[in-house]
Amino acid sequence: MVGPSPHRPRRKAKKTTTGNGSEVSSVAPSASSRSSSSSSSAKPAYPLAAFLWPARSSVSKWEILPLILMAVGLFRWAAGLWGYSGFQNPPMHGDYEAQRHWMEITTKLPISQWYFHDLEWWGLDYPPLTAYHSWLLGTIGGLIDPSWFALHTSRGLEDPTLKVFMRATVIVSEYLIYVPAAVILVRRLSKHHGVNTWNAAVALTAILMQPGTILIDHVHFQYNTVMLGLVLASMSSVLAGRFMWSCVFFVLALGFKQMALYYAPAMFAYLLGVCFFPRINVPRFLGIAAVTLATFAILLLPIFLGALYDAHRGVDVRPELFGHPAPLPIFSEHSFKINYSAWYFPIIQQAAQIVHRVFPFARGLFEDKVANFWCALNVIIKLRNYPSELLQQASLLLTLAAITPGCFVIFIRPRKENLPLALATTAWGFFLFSFQVHEKSVLLPLMPMTAVLAGNHGLSKNVRAWVGFANLLAVWTMFPLLQRVDLRIPYFVLSLLWAYLLGLPPTSFSVYHQDGNPSWSGFATTTLHLIFYIIMGIWHLAEAFLLPPHEKPDLWVVINVGVGTIGFGICYLWCLWNLVVGSGLVESSKSEKRKAKTQ
Amino acid sequence: MADLYPSIAQCAVVATAFKVLLFPAYKSTDFEVHRNWLAITNSLPVQDWYYEKTSEWTLDYPPFFAVFEWILSQFAKVVDPEMLKVYNLEYDSWQTVYFQRSSVIATELVLVYALYLFVQSSPAAFKRPSHAAALSILLSPGLLIIDHIHFQYNGFLYGLLIFSLVLARKKSTTLASGLLFAALLCLKHIYLYLAPAYFVFLLRGYCLGPKSIFHVKFGNAFKLGTGIIAVFGAAFGPFVYWGQIPQLLSRLFPFSRGLCHAYWAPNIWAMYSFTDRVLIYVAPKLGLAVNQDAVNSVTRGLVGDTSFAVLPEITAKMTFILTLFFQVIPLIKLFLDPTWDTFIGAVTLCGYASFLFGWHVHEKAILLVIIPFSLIALKDRRYLGAFRPLAVAGHVSLFPLLFTAAEFPIKTIYTIFWLVLFLVAFDRLAPASNRSRIFLLDRFSLLYIAVSIPLILYCSLLHQMVWGKSFEFLPLMFTSSYSAVGVVGSWVGFLVVFFTS
Repeated sequence: MVGPSPHRPRRKAKKTTTGNGSEVSSVAPSASSRSSSSSSSAKPAYPLAAFLWPARSSVSKWEILPLILMAVGLFRWAAGLWGYSGFQNPPMHGDYEAQRHWMEITTKLPISQWYFHDLEWWGLDYPPLTAYHSWLLGTIGGLIDPSWFALHTSRGLEDPTLKVFMRATVIVSEYLIYVPAAVILVRRLSKHHGVNTWNAAVALTAILMQPGTILIDHVHFQYNTVMLGLVLASMSSVLAGRFMWSCVFFVLALGFKQMALYYAPAMFAYLLGVCFFPRINVPRFLGIAAVTLATFAILLLPIFLGALYDAHRGVDVRPELFGHPAPLPIFSEHSFKINYSAWYFPIIQQAAQIVHRVFPFARGLFEDKVANFWCALNVIIKLRNYPSELLQQASLLLTLAAITPGCFVIFIRPRKENLPLALATTAWGFFLFSFQVHEKSVLLPLMPMTAVLAGNHGLSKNVRAWVGFANLLAVWTMFPLLQRVDLRIPYFVLSLLWAYLLGLPPTSFSVYHQDGNPSWSGFATTTLHLIFYIIMGIWHLAEAFLLPPHEKPDLWVVINVGVGTIGFGICYLWCLWNLVVGSGLVESSKSEKRKAKTQ
Repeated sequence: MADLYPSIAQCAVVATAFKVLLFPAYKSTDFEVHRNWLAITNSLPVQDWYYEKTSEWTLDYPPFFAVFEWILSQFAKVVDPEMLKVYNLEYDSWQTVYFQRSSVIATELVLVYALYLFVQSSPAAFKRPSHAAALSILLSPGLLIIDHIHFQYNGFLYGLLIFSLVLARKKSTTLASGLLFAALLCLKHIYLYLAPAYFVFLLRGYCLGPKSIFHVKFGNAFKLGTGIIAVFGAAFGPFVYWGQIPQLLSRLFPFSRGLCHAYWAPNIWAMYSFTDRVLIYVAPKLGLAVNQDAVNSVTRGLVGDTSFAVLPEITAKMTFILTLFFQVIPLIKLFLDPTWDTFIGAVTLCGYASFLFGWHVHEKAILLVIIPFSLIALKDRRYLGAFRPLAVAGHVSLFPLLFTAAEFPIKTIYTIFWLVLFLVAFDRLAPASNRSRIFLLDRFSLLYIAVSIPLILYCSLLHQMVWGKSFEFLPLMFTSSYSAVGVVGSWVGFLVVFFTS
């Protein structure tokens, strides 16, 4: 038998920087003592750590990163083999058709008609960057097969090759925006906290495997990751101290999807904070303001110039009116003051229409069953009986109340490492209390909250337990949405897989084992989480095997909404508390730092 | 054992999640084949199993596999009885798809367990390399493409093969190893290609004494003989009793098929055919006769009518003799040195010989080489050097099995992922050899791997953009010729390693 003389790698192993942020005591063994490292007693605390275990030492991130990106990409693509929203569901189909239709109208119609064309059939109601994005994708797709985006005739098209193309556009968009932004953010965040590169790789994988984003974007179908990616880019610009760039990215995120407004107050408060503390910095303030305005202007410029050009060549924005002027959709009572034949009228018309389309104030407080405060309250008090004015004001007040503490903290203590928590807090506030919330919007608070995994003690049991709780609860509240289009299996696979990788219930309860001295807050966390996990489990069994009573056909969804709202409220409090603690406003000993909830 | 992460079980869990997500993926006619077998075995008496021909996909696996299908059909009955009707051709309700796909995943647990045993049984110094090799088999793109997308039960069958190979490691379980292999033959007769290695190993290592070949251990020989007869009797006995053996054999060995399969498997005959194609254009200048009838036949690749325009025809007998010849060479060494490592090497070389020279070889049969080879690929760096081109060529040659756009990213990205991960890991884990390595072979394999990238790009994207639907045979021919070079190269390399170590 040949003795195993250890092969010496040609390349010198890099020394990994061991930081204090590592949860597992990864004693980075030097490359020469590879064979002796088997005697070390360290072992991975959860499966995801086990998967990256061989990369602990002497593997550069350029080797591990492509593998991570390939693996998460494979899961995305495989999940995309399943059906999308609205598949074989005429007459209106779903989000997939909406996105396809926008590619159709942006490539086939003059730019001035984009926001006006047949609004009943998935009229464009996202900001301009989405329209440009659709135009780009539609142009590329039209080269492959012109029938995919043919005007009118392509509605509700279910060509399998089109599906492949559409799935590919989501992945490519994500890999061009969200993934690089996440990679850079994780690197900056972990460097800032002194977390070693191996832990950063674990956190990155956990962030990229988030079941919520995969299920909504790659299975149910949308381009949320483009907006989320731009916000991530904005966050990492802040970490790098590039405030102007962070404004550019944030405005682009707003320009892609108005939902990014959920983050806007915290972002604004932070940027304002860095202009005031530690000392007032007027040039910075003016720079930020100018860059923001300029980015907005550039974003809207194509639409406005296009409208002027179309007006000049006599293209009517609404051909169906045969040249009759129509009042503006907003401020209609002031319409008479406007000169319909002025040269600048097309700009006003476009701007009014975009605002009208993007912010549908006219709609009700909530549309579908969504796990936020209003929908849950509706179970107890029938909100339909109240005037909508009153409800809108109440909603505005409660939202303001929910976001003010977080914004205040980040304003007076603008620490960049606290930005993710501040964004998460305000996004939770919006999700819980604002009007016109969609269940998919839960991705917004989840994204910065999950990014906390890359921070200090990000992979500790406590943080993993909370971030995992928020994510699993969030996908659970999206279950009714997913099962409507027969996506139970990808739902279960992806959420259980993520729970498994991070060692979370229902696959493992190890995050709740308290080593060392048990604390009351740890005990409270455990009890609280377990109650929710048990409810979720029972709910799934009930939903699968029991028919709801006749008089209450929506019982399961209503329970889901109620439980989800309470859970999200707790997540909001957790984020807020950690933000307060992290800002140093509250004196706290190290053990109390892990304290989860205020009560 | 503390350092073996990720564990086999952890990988199995994550791989299972991925495989479940692949439920709605493309499935080949093999899916209908197996559904039909479920129906046949469930609804017909055993006497009719090998006579039933409502579907064109008649039962052509040995009896144990039919029994395996019968067992599965007992569960299928609960899931959706419609799939068990023989006339219900092309039936694929979602229950059927979920059931059949999950049955592949569930029976693959045999492979997981066998790999676990393989790592357990390897000597302490080889635990880490063995663990890496076990994971490479568990996550093999070959099994993913063939079993979980294309649809077959190779995970289960190769699990039994590895189980049997692991049992051969210890003297006390050699008998069980032989009997398990006999049972495996009754599940799928493709493993007959490996049987010569088993025969020699069991003969020399189990039935003859270690000191002298004239010292016959009659007790062992008797146990092995009766055991094998009992296994085969259980499988074929009833059919002998009913006098159905000729019918059964005609189903198992359809000799009417051609030399090359519809897609050329990357073997000697693919290179031979490629040379012939090239000679069609060159031959007139050299003054060689061109058989005009054959000019258009090979390119179509239709089963059964492979013929050559310039080069001489190949008969089944010639392929048989060549296969046997190249199998016997390593078996001589095995007979002289019946250790486990030599045995695995001999099994691998038997797989090589049958794959490279066999009649009507299917490209899926490359697993017959890759999987046994994986078990010893990390023995030292020279083994690894021979393994590398095989790993690339063998998996690339499976790409034409999946031709739908939706599965393209899965097959390519997964294979690249696997190659990068395991070739890098193997490179670190394989110990240096105490003999000098063959310089040329190393450079060859590097160049070879590099060529695969433009090739895949051309075959999957560029060809369609340049030529559209015409010359569809070109990408197939390039893929199989390229892969053939790799497989032959790794075979030659491994022969050298095998005989010099």
